Amino acid sequence: MRKKSLNRFWWAGWMAMILLMFSLQAFTQPRTVTGKVTAGDTGDPLPGANIVIKGTAQGVISDLDGNYEIGIQSPEDILVFRFIGYVDQAVQVGDLSVIDVVLEVETVGLEEIVVIGYGKVKKSDLTGSVSSVKSEDIVKITSANVEQGLQGKVAGVQVTSTSGAPGAVPSVRVRGVGTFNNSSPIFVVDGVILDNISFLNSADIESMEVLKDASATAIYGSRGANGVIIITTKSGAEGLAKPQFSFSSEVGLQRVARQIDLLDGREFAIISNEIKPGSYNNIDAVPNTDWQSLIFSMAPIQNHQLSVSGAGDIARYYMGIGYFGQDGIIDKSFYKRLSLKLNNVYQLSEQFRLGNNITIAPYNQRNAPNVTYSVYRAQPVLEPYYSDGSYAVVYNVGNPLADLAHSNNFNNGVRGVGNVYAEASFLHSFTLKSSFGVDAAYNKSESFTPAYTIYNPDGTASQQDNTFSDLYKGTSDNLTWLWENTISFDKIFDKHYINAVAGYTMQKTTSEQYGLSGANILRDNPEFWYINPSYIYDPSSNIDLVQNINNSVDPGQYYSMISYLFRANYTYSDKYIFTATFRRDGSSKFSEDNRFANFPSFAAGWNIGREAFIEDVPHVSSLKLRASWGIIGNDKITYFDRYARVQSDIITVFGFPDNAFPAASYGKSGNPDLKWESTKQTDIGLEFGLLENRLTGELDYYNRMTDDILVELSTPGHMGNGLGQRIRYNAASVSNSGIEFLLNWREKRGDFNYSVGILGSTIHNEVKSIGGASGIDSTLIGGYLGNGQPVTLSRVGLPIGAFYGYVTDGIFQNTEELGACPHLSQAGVGDLRFVDTNDDGVLNGEDRTFIGSPIPDFIFGINFSAAYRGFDLAVDFHGQAGNEIFNGKEVVRPDPYNFEQHVMERWTGENTSDTEPRPSFGGYNYLPSDRFIQNGSFLRLRTLSLGYTLPESLSERWHIARARIYLKGNNIFTLTRFTGYTPEIGSNDVLSNGIDNGIYPITAIYSVGLNLTF
Amino acid sequence: MKRIINLSLLLPVIIILTSCEDFLQINPQGQMTQEAFPTTESDALLATNAAYTVFRQWHYHSGGYPILDIMSDDAHKGSNPNDQLPTLGPYDSFDHTATQDGLDRWWSTLYEGIKRANVVIEKVPSIEMDETLRTRYVAEAYFIRGLLYFDLVRAWGGVPIIETTEPPLKIERASVEAVYNLIEHDLLEAVKALPEKSTCSDDQLGRATKGAANALLAKVYLFQGNFENAETCALEVIESDEYDLEPVFADASGILGEHGIESVFEVGAIGVGSQSNGGNQYANTQGVRGSPNRGWGFNRPSLDLINTFEEGDPRMDATVIFLGEVLDGVTILGDGTTPDEVEDDQGNVIEIECYNQKVWVPGNTTDTQFGHNRRILRYADVLLMAAEALNENNKPDDALYYLNLVRERAREGNETILPDITETNKNTLRDIILEERRRELAMEGHRFWDLMRTGKAAEVLGPLGFTENKNELLPIPQTEIDISQKILDQNPNYE
Repeated sequence: MRKKSLNRFWWAGWMAMILLMFSLQAFTQPRTVTGKVTAGDTGDPLPGANIVIKGTAQGVISDLDGNYEIGIQSPEDILVFRFIGYVDQAVQVGDLSVIDVVLEVETVGLEEIVVIGYGKVKKSDLTGSVSSVKSEDIVKITSANVEQGLQGKVAGVQVTSTSGAPGAVPSVRVRGVGTFNNSSPIFVVDGVILDNISFLNSADIESMEVLKDASATAIYGSRGANGVIIITTKSGAEGLAKPQFSFSSEVGLQRVARQIDLLDGREFAIISNEIKPGSYNNIDAVPNTDWQSLIFSMAPIQNHQLSVSGAGDIARYYMGIGYFGQDGIIDKSFYKRLSLKLNNVYQLSEQFRLGNNITIAPYNQRNAPNVTYSVYRAQPVLEPYYSDGSYAVVYNVGNPLADLAHSNNFNNGVRGVGNVYAEASFLHSFTLKSSFGVDAAYNKSESFTPAYTIYNPDGTASQQDNTFSDLYKGTSDNLTWLWENTISFDKIFDKHYINAVAGYTMQKTTSEQYGLSGANILRDNPEFWYINPSYIYDPSSNIDLVQNINNSVDPGQYYSMISYLFRANYTYSDKYIFTATFRRDGSSKFSEDNRFANFPSFAAGWNIGREAFIEDVPHVSSLKLRASWGIIGNDKITYFDRYARVQSDIITVFGFPDNAFPAASYGKSGNPDLKWESTKQTDIGLEFGLLENRLTGELDYYNRMTDDILVELSTPGHMGNGLGQRIRYNAASVSNSGIEFLLNWREKRGDFNYSVGILGSTIHNEVKSIGGASGIDSTLIGGYLGNGQPVTLSRVGLPIGAFYGYVTDGIFQNTEELGACPHLSQAGVGDLRFVDTNDDGVLNGEDRTFIGSPIPDFIFGINFSAAYRGFDLAVDFHGQAGNEIFNGKEVVRPDPYNFEQHVMERWTGENTSDTEPRPSFGGYNYLPSDRFIQNGSFLRLRTLSLGYTLPESLSERWHIARARIYLKGNNIFTLTRFTGYTPEIGSNDVLSNGIDNGIYPITAIYSVGLNLTF
Repeated sequence: MKRIINLSLLLPVIIILTSCEDFLQINPQGQMTQEAFPTTESDALLATNAAYTVFRQWHYHSGGYPILDIMSDDAHKGSNPNDQLPTLGPYDSFDHTATQDGLDRWWSTLYEGIKRANVVIEKVPSIEMDETLRTRYVAEAYFIRGLLYFDLVRAWGGVPIIETTEPPLKIERASVEAVYNLIEHDLLEAVKALPEKSTCSDDQLGRATKGAANALLAKVYLFQGNFENAETCALEVIESDEYDLEPVFADASGILGEHGIESVFEVGAIGVGSQSNGGNQYANTQGVRGSPNRGWGFNRPSLDLINTFEEGDPRMDATVIFLGEVLDGVTILGDGTTPDEVEDDQGNVIEIECYNQKVWVPGNTTDTQFGHNRRILRYADVLLMAAEALNENNKPDDALYYLNLVRERAREGNETILPDITETNKNTLRDIILEERRRELAMEGHRFWDLMRTGKAAEVLGPLGFTENKNELLPIPQTEIDISQKILDQNPNYE
């Protein structure tokens, strides 16, 4: 009900805005200009070219012979001629009445302007490996997260959904995993360096640049090692005298992309009877509950925005408002975000400029409990409700419907990111810029569970029993400020072109969080969700939650930095390019001796295509070779790892009666010797354009070697740090190497334009050392399943977070076979046969070995787009190959749960199966082994969209510059052999990658949308 | 405009002048660093208190599960047949290996306590504060350190000796003798400075006392076969007149006897379901499984234990909870997934569903079970130690006196049962005292080590799978050997 009225509000608002804009378009002064548009490459007339008056929405289309006729207002009007695949041309009308133009073919690729750290550069002058994604690609995916727009669009970038929950942030990896710590790239949004960009609205983005090699990232020094993604938001275009409004609206429906094939009631009864005869007397009369279909439903998703941009004598502006709303396919989950965007530039004089880029994004999020795991486990022979309609007990997992019904978990907050800057040019070639940026975030979490009890059929209380209602309240805030001062120099002398930048920056990040828990809340309704002292401590009800009060800083978000940066780019004769970059970073995360570190890089490029001997070669339009080397770092550790701290949250109990007394002692030791992680990266790349640049491509070889990786190692027990406590050391090395390629073909045939792009990258990830000089560990174990069993192991020679477990070799068919092989004591006939991998004649934990890698060998994307008259079509695929998934959700079985379908192929007697063991509810056959390793390769149809742009005649009548409607599908199908919801299993913990512990499924989205420009 | 530009040119100059060292120094927020602690009288108290906290950690209790009883003839694994079978089952059958669950937990937690004791021993003496308190805190820490090393040396033999707050990363195992020397030194320091229990106010009960240190020292000497010193120490506890036996046997470990007359060293706990709030999961681990749901039901009393009690000995019923029994108004129904009886191939009953009554806490939730105060040392143990040492020192009459005190209390006034022992033959009396220890202290974690130090382990536990020259000690946790890069040697026959 509330949702509906909200939608009405939105629409009413949009309509009011639209009416307002039409009224602005009221004046015209009749005078006509005519002319002809021809193509520069063929000399043929160009039918269907757009001719618009700059800064207005008025425009016409050339006819079949390339002729046009347009009414203008004044001699100051500028006509802009556009045709896809050709360079735009602008002509001031003056007193001309006939304007013929020749449009030149767009030279795609090399002349593009690319945004790099602290500057911009022509693509031909670039020595680094940088990939750009433009706004039209970013909005192809209906998602709260801008990062999703990169998936399958940039070679070497892997974007993986960690969950399909509304608003979930995907994990992004650039050129593999180079550290055991946080491997996410940093984001630079209009100059502000950020870790998280969930506040951004895709529609506000002009371009995203992924900086991949050291030449490009070294300017970000200690933070560049995982790659840098520069995001430029839209700003008002110069010469846009009249405001240009742009409106887009999209509504869609999501559904679970696929369901897991589990046993139905009858099948479960058959298997249960084999495990424990007589469990079900009549297998045909057992209930059959499809738990998955009870929790998944279709859910709406919507995305609307309105923006206006323009330019006056002094100011250029872009203002946008956007709303994104997504309901979860599981009840009780949603994500709503409003984003306000304001980008201004004020040209106060020839030399002096001020500007700002500001985003404010309030959001509302509701999280569902992890019922995907409980519906996976819930026995299908149990009914969800008793005959009186109350929730029935679901043994071992709890009734997921009751979990959902009683869940109230919210995150509400606001994020404000922005900067103001001043820029002054002097002595013709110098520009001084000072920019002050802020990232402020405030989040409130709230969770309430009412008191409720699910009863057993006999009326006694089941384990799913919340005796007292409980309430949690938490807030966290985060403030970063960043002050950057740069001076840049840009000059051409003769054949020499020099572009240099030097700077000094300071940054400070602080954070704080509070949390309180209470129980036995007076009433259940939200008006009562406020903590009261008696909810925290009430001896009469045995409530004592005082220990749950917490107040601390977020240890990952509390540090300061000072940096010096420098880059010089020198081009000779447009052919030979040299770049040198240097950054010196100092961070509070390291002690004085190790505080500062230097990050240099060097690169060179050669535009072979501009050499005389190539210019004559037919069909070669451009050719460039580039190479770079550099050192970059990673500092994503908590600020206090170097300190040995005192643990003061402990109590001891003395006295009669027993009473708690405060206590404090040494916590785990610190490591004052911590220093920066450093990554040496080499990149060799080739860029080419063939056949008049219809075929363009890039090929890169990269090699990243990360040393001194900050890694938490187990310390010996005698150190007294306590069980499982780890201390951070600089003690590991990892290499990543591979080849990236990108090929694009674009062509225009008459009215038909199309392009095909293929990109891919290979990754070879290998741990080179662990333990290193401190020599206290040779392996890193991680990837813990729900029951604490580790299933990943990082060891020299293996990829990071490799899966390990027993290797299976068929089934013990009979007692002779069992007796003949070493086996664990629990093994019996019909059970899996584990291989004695170390051949010592004894089967034990030592025989667990490498059984798969979560890191793909190859990731790729295939993109196809085409336009014919008003129609446009886009088809994007992406996928990966060569990785494995550990089906962790199947392994953890302390109690009888439902099974996946393959259990029906079970061993029932000699030679009935050599892959699927005799059924059991858990135990031996569910020890981590390659039985649970599945092929993680997939090919996914990421986007299929079909749009139609209204003919000029119609839009002109409605005073609209451009109107497009479209139908779109995302994640429509996925080819994979994986049996879970999705083969994309991401994790922010590199040691837990590729383990499916029962994630929230990703969704397929079908939507319709409208784009208007007026 | 020009002015603005000129001013902006000055910006970099201004910034470079700001000090960067100050800007880049960020101390931990809301937390002290170890250099700054403990430096005051109240710090000294906090640090001393923290050393006791280890005794409430689940892992302190032989890694969480009561494996010492499970390895003895007193108990089986417990819970339902499959629960923790791969992790705990091997201890029951002596198939445990160096990677067995719990070993690393126990090892690291004992050393965590040692570290906390070392903080007090190393740092508190230099704090300017009340002299008496300072001496007492340090003595408490010595007691705790001695107690923790005593667990280490009994479980693993010679272990790394750490006496500093800055231990080296790599260190070899010390000899068994060296570890015992340290324990003896620590406990003598404790005896010297600790106050008697009677001087402790009610809210200080649970802190180490002279009596506790002497009792522990007696035990340490007993384990080394030093019966003279064992006798001296045990008699010192007895003659201090600080302790006596509870009139009712069940109260010796039950809730009514908490910090009572029999309690020599006891770990206080509050009935809340979490360690950080004051609970102790020791009793929950062994609590009745099923209905009433009071715990997991591990450490099931064996039929052998049940049958070892003399006819009518009330201690049997106070040690074992049987199905159908009514305790504090609650009928024990037990666990649906646990068979009431387990039979062998011949149809003989070899195990029945029953639970450890010594950890029973009245109440109606699992949380209350966390409030059980585990007795580490109690007076009956001291009396039996005295009896044992006196017998070895050829003073059978004195030995019989203390032994019969224990039997007399067990009788609880019923003169028809548990007659006084009159045997004076040293060897026979030795066995009688050992059997009395078994019945009196059953399920309290003593039996396995008593069999070990008396050299009876192979004879008694052999049929259960015990291997001589191997199972006397636990294997050093494999993770510790791995992390130490094999500087730690494995115990014999565990390779």
